[in-house]
Amino acid sequence: MLQSLHLSHTHQFSRVLQGTARQARHPILHSSLFPWARALAGTALSSRTRQGCSSLRQGRFQRAAFRTAVAVAAPPRELVLPVEEKVKKVPPKYIRNFSIIAHIDHGKSTLADQLLIQTKTVMDREMQAQFLDGMDLERERGITIKLNQARMKYTANDGQVYALNLIDTPGHVDFNYEVSRSLAACEGCLLVVDAAQGVEAQTLANVYLAMENDLEIIPVLNKIDLPGAEPERVRREIEEVLGLDCSRAILASAKAGIGIEDILEAIVERIPPPADNIADHETRALIFDSAYDPYRGVIVYFRVTDGELNVGDRVMLMNTRKEHIIDELGVLAPKPVNVDRLFAGEVGWLSASIKAVADARVGDTITLKKNPASQALPGYTEAKPMVFCGMFPSDGDQFEDLREALGKLQLNDSALSFEPEVSSAMGFGFRCGFLGLLHMEIVQERLEREYDVDLIVTSPTVVYRCNLAKGETMVVQNPTLLPDAGVRESIEEPYCRMEIITPKDFVGPLMELSQARRGDFVDMQFLTEARTTLIYNLPLAEVVTDFFDELKSRSRGYASMEYHQIGYRKSDLVRLDIKINNETVDPLAQIVHRDAAFRVGKALTGRLREVIPRQQFKIPIQAAIGVKVVASENLSAMRKDVTAKCYGGDISRKKKLLKKQAAGKKRMKMFGKVEVPKEAFTSILKINSDAA
Amino acid sequence: MRTGLRPVSFLPGSVTTAKLPPVCSLAVHNPLKQGCESPQKASSVSPAEPRSAYLHLPFCKRKCLYCDFAVLALGSAPQETIQSRFSSYTQLLLEEIGHTCGRHPAGLETVFFGGGTPSLLPPQLLEQLLAGLDNQFGIAPDAEISMEADPGTFTAESLSAYMRSGVNRFSVGIQAFQQSHLERCGRSHDLHDVQAALGLMQQAQPASWSLDLISGLPHLSMEDWRESLEAAIAAQPPHISTYDLQIEDKTPFARLYRPGDAPLPADSEAADMYRLASSLLCEAGYEHYEVSSFALPGHRCRHNQVYWTSAPFHAFGMSAASYQQGRRVTRPRAMQGYQSWVQALAEERDPAASLEADSLQDQLLDMIMLSMRTSDGLNLQQAEQRFGRAARTAVERAVARHVEHGYVSFPEPDIIRLTDPEGFLIENDVVSDIFAAVGQIPEHLQAS
Repeated sequence: MLQSLHLSHTHQFSRVLQGTARQARHPILHSSLFPWARALAGTALSSRTRQGCSSLRQGRFQRAAFRTAVAVAAPPRELVLPVEEKVKKVPPKYIRNFSIIAHIDHGKSTLADQLLIQTKTVMDREMQAQFLDGMDLERERGITIKLNQARMKYTANDGQVYALNLIDTPGHVDFNYEVSRSLAACEGCLLVVDAAQGVEAQTLANVYLAMENDLEIIPVLNKIDLPGAEPERVRREIEEVLGLDCSRAILASAKAGIGIEDILEAIVERIPPPADNIADHETRALIFDSAYDPYRGVIVYFRVTDGELNVGDRVMLMNTRKEHIIDELGVLAPKPVNVDRLFAGEVGWLSASIKAVADARVGDTITLKKNPASQALPGYTEAKPMVFCGMFPSDGDQFEDLREALGKLQLNDSALSFEPEVSSAMGFGFRCGFLGLLHMEIVQERLEREYDVDLIVTSPTVVYRCNLAKGETMVVQNPTLLPDAGVRESIEEPYCRMEIITPKDFVGPLMELSQARRGDFVDMQFLTEARTTLIYNLPLAEVVTDFFDELKSRSRGYASMEYHQIGYRKSDLVRLDIKINNETVDPLAQIVHRDAAFRVGKALTGRLREVIPRQQFKIPIQAAIGVKVVASENLSAMRKDVTAKCYGGDISRKKKLLKKQAAGKKRMKMFGKVEVPKEAFTSILKINSDAA
Repeated sequence: MRTGLRPVSFLPGSVTTAKLPPVCSLAVHNPLKQGCESPQKASSVSPAEPRSAYLHLPFCKRKCLYCDFAVLALGSAPQETIQSRFSSYTQLLLEEIGHTCGRHPAGLETVFFGGGTPSLLPPQLLEQLLAGLDNQFGIAPDAEISMEADPGTFTAESLSAYMRSGVNRFSVGIQAFQQSHLERCGRSHDLHDVQAALGLMQQAQPASWSLDLISGLPHLSMEDWRESLEAAIAAQPPHISTYDLQIEDKTPFARLYRPGDAPLPADSEAADMYRLASSLLCEAGYEHYEVSSFALPGHRCRHNQVYWTSAPFHAFGMSAASYQQGRRVTRPRAMQGYQSWVQALAEERDPAASLEADSLQDQLLDMIMLSMRTSDGLNLQQAEQRFGRAARTAVERAVARHVEHGYVSFPEPDIIRLTDPEGFLIENDVVSDIFAAVGQIPEHLQAS
């Protein structure tokens, strides 16, 4: 169930099986809000982050969610409630809307599965079947199952029948805007903490989000059956760090099925019911997720807060001002079930022939055209890309294919932006904006794999501001467009505030890392005697490359991080140009700090010397600031490239090698007289960190 | 003076009708299988059938440290064991030959025994193999029959026995004229063997023979290389091959050395060795007719030219690759696999049944990469006839800048070839450029 959801994300992310891991590990996906920054809720950054999640998660879609309903054999009646029973209406006071906050691997998916089984919403075997179906579908048709909510029927100890709506927060709780919208659709949440690990940075941030939304928080100490479990320590930690009362924390093991009944009872007892805003209210519903389906258009997932929605209603989205007529309305139980009407307090989905997710953005408010609400629900923001790069087809003839493919991806990815770019070196392509490097990699990979466009991707960059001597300010998304030093007054770069939570043993290495990335130390506090929080202000450009990978490697995986953008600052930045055979290669230009120019230049020229194949003449490779060369390498001429023997058995082998060599050549770009392989442009990604 | 069978009759007065070895009668009396008719029936043969055969003889005294061929080292096995391995392998080869179709009406023009060390094979077994080939495919009277022979593995007697069976060309693996290099390569022969072998060749006077050298060896200096080339010329072989050492994966050399790094010569030095070989040998009257091959007039290796002109050829034995009916078929590298292969053939199951013939595109690539190895070069008119105008245009476009830089020349308007030595030195670079250009020709523009 939610497990299959979780897994589906993995596949969707086209990073083949590494998807989830990468996603989980990527810094961009970890941005979140902090208590001292709660005022910033809904800033541009947070919206970027969440949109990224949404778009990434949605990847390809979801018609599978509707298909599997047919694909899975109906389980025996006594073990699982009939569909009509599962979706039967109950008055608002018997509805409970909740979500689960947990760090990756702390057991969210397993717990969700257990809740579904315990409430006879699904059965064990069915879950397995659906999971497998999902995998097969994924493999065979390249589509993905999405499940982001589940409606359960639970008969509590008080004898009452309750409708429980579990609203999934993004597969990883790293997308704070999306998480915040999902939480805004709930009245309570389960805080699941691994009893052997303790609170992590993302958990912390999401708990603050939950508090901000006035949710009832039920602490659950999971994995108490493991030998390393220290429920008392973790209970204290939650109390000390989060200030939550843990006297009623539930001891559980989702895997072993311990404490599930207690959790269900706590949901019913402790989480308040939604306000009974059905009658005499202007209709409002909060969109907490959306995804594109090629047959139905965008599927919108929402929580009704006021009034009611009916099939056939003409609805309006209050922020985008778009109007649509509801074609279908339904709930997920956990398979999609169509219903005629959803009222305040309920959670469901709708389709209304909406063409792109950008027309039904997360956080927007649905209202009725004929009787619109006077005020939209709070908290809506739009995604803005924070990392840009150029994407050019290797083969100029594929420009139109690339345009079409980007357009299709954008249908389901409102955070992706692109506009045409012309480069003297690379020809026609697009300047594309992303939420972060992972987002960029995913889009690149999907373009190449699903749309068969062979790409050259230029060095990614954050958005700089260049103040000109004349007094104007220019926004720079492309290093080659940075005005020359002569007309510049100053350059500003985006900064972020980074919070790291780490066992105290790793404080030293992590401070070194932050300092090496030009971080300004802000604060350090002991959370408990063993764990520390470190706060730095860092240039965003230093974070979006591989800060998170480094953090994990220097802390043996124990540290976690959160960051959010805090505005622009002047820095001593320069444009580092790369010249190959004395010609400037625009796509390799970078904006770097002056102090790092030599290091980066050295690393970059060295790397280029390795990846550019030898050619028939000697090639100088230089890194320069203006006319001043800061680093240089020479690629010596090719002396020989010949296979001595070629007889009967060698012919096939030699042909294979030559074909490979030829294939490599097709991926080259000519710069002046020099052939530069595609890899040269992507290898640049690693340079900054290697140099640091 | 002659004993046993002389299966071919290309030497005056050499026709004999001595008794056939038993294995040959197997081929004769068993009606041929797999749908090919009896070799005796002229009606079954086609002019497109191979006129060449390669036989792989994998046995060596020991395996050289750079070698990645399918080789079985005999080591210090007792003589009887060695003999029985030789004869059972010979039987296997004969069986494979006997079950192979494709007889050209004019018979085989070239036969090549490669290895391994074919000169370890007792002459009477080699004779049986030739008889088997003659029986199955016929051997033309003027056929070139070559075998590889390593110093220290043959004597005046064995040489003349091989020649009596029909061998008329030897390829002698001298490799180096310095004791230290022979040792470092793990060769089983020493400098004394080298001198003896050259003496035997000069004495035996086969119709042709080749002296083979390796350049680019670890610690090989320019002086050593010049010395080897001069010694080679002094030995007056009609043919010289100079192979630039390739470090092959999974060989001891691959563990010991990295291409381009000391003690291997730097690329620039290895290139200079190549240039030196080309200039010294050409001065001495040799024609540099292929990347690694030099010959006095009339002494090009006919068999190897079959490979480079994309002509079909039979092949037998472990790891051997044949090219027949447009299919390149490589036999299993290990003995056991090869045994099963022959077994399958004997049971009328074609072990290569699933292989498809090369596509037109592949044939074009073969033609390009193989002909560009030779000084005869690529005939653009032939390419155009077989593969269409677009193929010619693509080739011409791809080589334009190499022509400009002097790596490719047009000796005639319809022929392109690599220049010697500079063009040959970057053969792969040029050919892969042509591959890249040819790979972009849409299918419908290719001739059918």
